[in-house]
Amino acid sequence: MKFEKVLFHTQFRAHAFNSLKTLFRLKACGLKEIVLVYVIPRETVGFVPYGGFLKEEEQRIRKQIKCRFESWQKAVEKAGMKCTVRIQTGILNASILKIAENEKVDLIVTGAKKRTLFEKIYVGSHILDILRRSTVPVMMGRYMVQFETEDGVLSRKNDQIFQRPLLATDWSPPSERGLAAITAFRGIVEEAMVVHVIDAKLTKGVNASRMKALDKKSRQRLDAYCARLEKENIAAESHLCIGRPVSEILRISRETEATMIIIGRTGKDWMEEYWLGGVSHRVAEISELPVLLVP
Amino acid sequence: MRSLLLAAAMILLCFFLASPQVLAANSASAIVTASTETGSPAGDAQIHTQESDARHLSKDGAAHGNSGHVNLGELLPIWSCIPFACMLLSIALFPLLLPEFWHHHFGKIAAFWAACLGIPFLIAYKWIALHEILHIILADYVPFIILLWSLYTVSGGILLRGSLRGTPAVNTLILAIGTLLASWMGTTGAAMLLIRPFLRANKDRKNRTFMVVFFIFLVANVGGSLTPLGDPPLFLGFLHGVSFFWTLKIFPHMLLVVGLLLLVYFFLDAYYYRKERPSGKISDEPRELLRLEGYHNFLFLLGIVGSVLLSGLVDLGEVNTFGIHRAVQDWARDGLLILMGVFSMVTTSIRIREDNDFTWFPIIEVAYLFIGIFITMIPCLLILKAGSDGALAVLIDSVKKPYHYFWVTGALSGFLDNAPTYLTFFNTAIGSFYAGLPESEAVPLLMSERAVYLAAISTGAVFFGACSYIGNAPNFMVRSISEEAGTPMPSFFGYILKYSLVFLIPVFIVVTLVFF
Repeated sequence: MKFEKVLFHTQFRAHAFNSLKTLFRLKACGLKEIVLVYVIPRETVGFVPYGGFLKEEEQRIRKQIKCRFESWQKAVEKAGMKCTVRIQTGILNASILKIAENEKVDLIVTGAKKRTLFEKIYVGSHILDILRRSTVPVMMGRYMVQFETEDGVLSRKNDQIFQRPLLATDWSPPSERGLAAITAFRGIVEEAMVVHVIDAKLTKGVNASRMKALDKKSRQRLDAYCARLEKENIAAESHLCIGRPVSEILRISRETEATMIIIGRTGKDWMEEYWLGGVSHRVAEISELPVLLVP
Repeated sequence: MRSLLLAAAMILLCFFLASPQVLAANSASAIVTASTETGSPAGDAQIHTQESDARHLSKDGAAHGNSGHVNLGELLPIWSCIPFACMLLSIALFPLLLPEFWHHHFGKIAAFWAACLGIPFLIAYKWIALHEILHIILADYVPFIILLWSLYTVSGGILLRGSLRGTPAVNTLILAIGTLLASWMGTTGAAMLLIRPFLRANKDRKNRTFMVVFFIFLVANVGGSLTPLGDPPLFLGFLHGVSFFWTLKIFPHMLLVVGLLLLVYFFLDAYYYRKERPSGKISDEPRELLRLEGYHNFLFLLGIVGSVLLSGLVDLGEVNTFGIHRAVQDWARDGLLILMGVFSMVTTSIRIREDNDFTWFPIIEVAYLFIGIFITMIPCLLILKAGSDGALAVLIDSVKKPYHYFWVTGALSGFLDNAPTYLTFFNTAIGSFYAGLPESEAVPLLMSERAVYLAAISTGAVFFGACSYIGNAPNFMVRSISEEAGTPMPSFFGYILKYSLVFLIPVFIVVTLVFF
């Protein structure tokens, strides 16, 4: 896996530029080009009821965005990478996926919006749709976040996101690719954590000897993962636990001071994903850290 | 702006409350209430009358019957139609004068005009007004929006891929196919299915504006005249009792208009094609084979046709919903239409919809605007149904001949939305010829004895919807898509002066001479 070309989608929310700057470190791992993307939602300028298309408004927005991107472009170029800008009118998620396909990017980075209760119940946001459908890894960036813990609401600044990645694995092929993603970050990773959570639901009624065997097998697999990382000169530690996968992953990410969560996309069918959300999507949804979803 | 609108509402409220007719209506309601409260046999009789009137009303859509009860159509003053006029004027003028403001606030504007009518109407006429509002929502608005939604959803799942070369023959063929499809998948559905392939086929052509305008004429309007599925006005007619196949009677009218327009289009296109060829560059892009994706949605379209047809053929009795009696088959039809839409959503790949640039926004717009239109049009419809006893007697008395109906319905349809205009003149005809008769009896008579009038109203509403961008909902969608794709479109007045007056009006004169 390589990250030579990255698509960075923004809606110019707070800290979006800082979030972009966190990607500059990827240059050390071979990043050559950043494609800055802004999508003008079609309904903002099109389908004026009984009117038509607000051509001038669209041009005004384009100009405004182009102008805002200029300083970003300079910053990217100053960091020694190529930068292209794509401003497109259309459906947000479809446009991002199409641009990613046309530009043949290796990674999509998109911001996460703080969601209302209704949005939380109704999982089908644009961003989750991108996570669900992308054929390349998608990173849900979070630069400055507030999150609730037992000690109250805390703030967190994610400015060194590649320093301590945490890989949550379920041994699936996407998890394997997640491991490959960490190796692609070689050189900027200080230490990686590899986590496997044995779902508590699956251990009900399982006798002690089988449990022990499962534990042993999981530890062996985790050690194998760590060994592969260490072979690439990346320090790694493993964590095995039993519980609810989402909450355990989040707990360990906090305990180990992880800076990013890498997780393979769960292969549920779209109906299940849409209404219930897989572990990967729930983690992406809830975590205060940037989450890299690997298909 | 906000305070101006508030002031308008307050003035309207004062007028309503001070109106002598309202006082009369209130005392009539008071008598009903008093006798109900005493529990006397007379009171029972009154309740019975009111219930049976309500049943009449739900079935016929007529204003409260004829016996011992308030006939709102005879009482309502002409200025109670002001919110309706303002609603339609808002649709006509805001997109032209303040497009951005309109784009962001059209829902609030529609709600405002609905409230302008609804609040004073409810205060003045209480339960009768509530009944009228609920009736128009449940019997007209809900099925209307459900049909539009299902057609929009299902047709949005069909995608025509591939590249065509925009020669005059190919373009004329696309227009002819679109015109034929429009009656079965709705003008919106047919327009959305074909506009992008049509634009793609002609992207190398220099003069594309007239092509899109003729597309609006034929596919987005005239083509929808054969069935109630084709164009919203005809569906409203169907909801009010016009039989499903009656509209086939206007096939000759449609054939004449389509024939003339296609002929003119072909020659115009051939002229420009020849003119452009020497300098016209041929695209280097590889040609993609023409193919239809999501074609299983045609099954759901058939389901929609079947559901609507079925609701006109079977009688499963009535059901009371919030005091409004609606036929069971109408609810069943609405349910089936929703089901067709849901099936289409579930079975169609999201990529097809995305490649179709499918978005819910246009249908949401229509839903917002039409709730305003339907509520504000209540007084207008009631007055017109009262015939020469209503405040619009002058209009009813002056619109007499079929060609009057054709041109007046048409002229208003061109600049106001054609669905409410159709309903207005549909009621004018009922008021003129069958005043006092319940709708269930009047409409069959109108279809048989005065078919030429109904044909004039139907063709006027459907054909003239093409006269301006605001005549029919798909017009603005086609315009929006074309402008986004880089096809320059004429301004509001440019469209009327350069195209409608030049091509449509002469054709309509021929229609008048031949049929009316």
